Amino acid sequence: MTTSANGNNTYRPDAIIVGAGIAGMQSALDLADQGLQVLLVEKDSSIGGHMISLAKVYPTLDCASCITAPKMSASAHHDNIRIMVNTEVRGIRSVRGSHFVKLFKKATYVNFDKCIGCRLCEYACDSEYPDPFEMGLGAKRAISVPFTNAIPQKAVLDPELCTTCGSCARVCPTDAIEYDQQSEEVEIETDAVVVASGFALNSLGVKSQYHALQNKNIMTALTMERLLAPHGPYGRVLRPSDGKVPSSVAFVLCAGSRDASIGVPYCSRVCCMYAIKQAMLLSGALPIADITIYYMDIRAFGKGYEQFYQNAKAMGINFVRGKVARIDPIEDGDLSLHVESTEEAENILQEHRHDLVVLAQGMVPEWNPSISTPVAVASDGFVATPSLTAPTSTSADGIFVAGVASGPKDIVDTIAEAGAAAMQVSRYLYQKRAAATPEYALGPALVG
Amino acid sequence: MARKSLTPEQKQALMTMRERMGGISEPKKEHQKQLVAARKAIRKMLSEAPASVPQLAAALHLPTDETLWHLTGMRKYGFVTEAGEDGDYLLYTLVQGEESTAGH
Repeated sequence: MTTSANGNNTYRPDAIIVGAGIAGMQSALDLADQGLQVLLVEKDSSIGGHMISLAKVYPTLDCASCITAPKMSASAHHDNIRIMVNTEVRGIRSVRGSHFVKLFKKATYVNFDKCIGCRLCEYACDSEYPDPFEMGLGAKRAISVPFTNAIPQKAVLDPELCTTCGSCARVCPTDAIEYDQQSEEVEIETDAVVVASGFALNSLGVKSQYHALQNKNIMTALTMERLLAPHGPYGRVLRPSDGKVPSSVAFVLCAGSRDASIGVPYCSRVCCMYAIKQAMLLSGALPIADITIYYMDIRAFGKGYEQFYQNAKAMGINFVRGKVARIDPIEDGDLSLHVESTEEAENILQEHRHDLVVLAQGMVPEWNPSISTPVAVASDGFVATPSLTAPTSTSADGIFVAGVASGPKDIVDTIAEAGAAAMQVSRYLYQKRAAATPEYALGPALVG
Repeated sequence: MARKSLTPEQKQALMTMRERMGGISEPKKEHQKQLVAARKAIRKMLSEAPASVPQLAAALHLPTDETLWHLTGMRKYGFVTEAGEDGDYLLYTLVQGEESTAGH
């Protein structure tokens, strides 16, 4: 039986969007604005995806949350969009043109209809753990609103962290805490699905020569984004090992991609530009720090990107062409980078000392191919797009893909592709319904 | 912050949740014990004078990264604030009003 997001069996959206990052939200908004009913499914406790955690975007250096937050708000308040957070897709089965999406809704132990987001429960909780939104650098409590501009602004209790002291229920003014809430599985029928499941970064441990897992001062670019964000964990850029204000920061490009030895032979497409962006932001935050980017080649392919690169060089960012072979920890928490230079005829093997290192890890798919779906994945693990002329189509009829789920791409391309996926869905639904009901071809409004 | 008593239904639900979790695990108990002890010690030291991460870590025999994490949490929830710099390091102090609860 098909059940719905609100427990009854009448809810049947026109499309289900898997993932509420920038791609999912854009697709949802474009479909909803055409009058179609959309269910937006997100595995985390807030919509917004990776983009809401970024500091700024390149090459304009616009504030990332100033772009993302309005889309989050528009999605949450749109009459035609329903949002399910804390919900994982467990499978998709297609039967005679319909798709049945199996969803696992994790218990939050908070009644979202009653919660007013006052955070009194969070302030009363005394159990603190590293905050995944801050890449472990900040602290979160066992019951908390995910982050400042999260949508929905609702507290979520993590049973793995809770000491069951009951403090949250004692202070909740609306009696929203429900310790007996259960996770549930629902299956929802729809006509179309958009996979917008985004990306993850490969582990810092993929190159053992960098000793990154053993060293707090070697971080991913997403961690650096949090350090650079105005509401980041420290409120400024500090070294995680000891709180020192860094004086020499290195970026190592292609640290987790373009390397067949770690199973990621492809280019992640965004690392060159975000490293340049972060270097520019760092030079503003730490005016006297030396900032060096170690690169194989700079891929500045988009509009305004080359100028952005030239601006960074003019600002004094140091670019060293070469491959970092090894990173060794040395005294005072500093790091020694062993570099093979490819731009100098002599002095090929170099050693440079830095007190903070950012590794450009590779983008890998977040989409879990082990769940039962008719969607095929390519050899690189991203959702396969069989037709070069239809980049948002998948191997399954009625299931489309948007954004990084089909391969690495930047925010600009992701948003453009999400719009294209929405139009593909719209066209697909129109053709399907017109075939079933000829009057529909004259105009959907005539058949209601 | 007004505190209510838990209703019998809430108490029962809390017990059921604890049972479902298999009780409070030893690592969780140990984490909570160390958290309370470290926060108490940091508050006490900061009530006397502002201090940097290395100064707190050395005096309290805590790893520097853990000390920074504690200060980050205490700053987020309004217990400490920055109070200038000491070389390459920031100094932290208790926010006004928190001095009286230091050590508690």
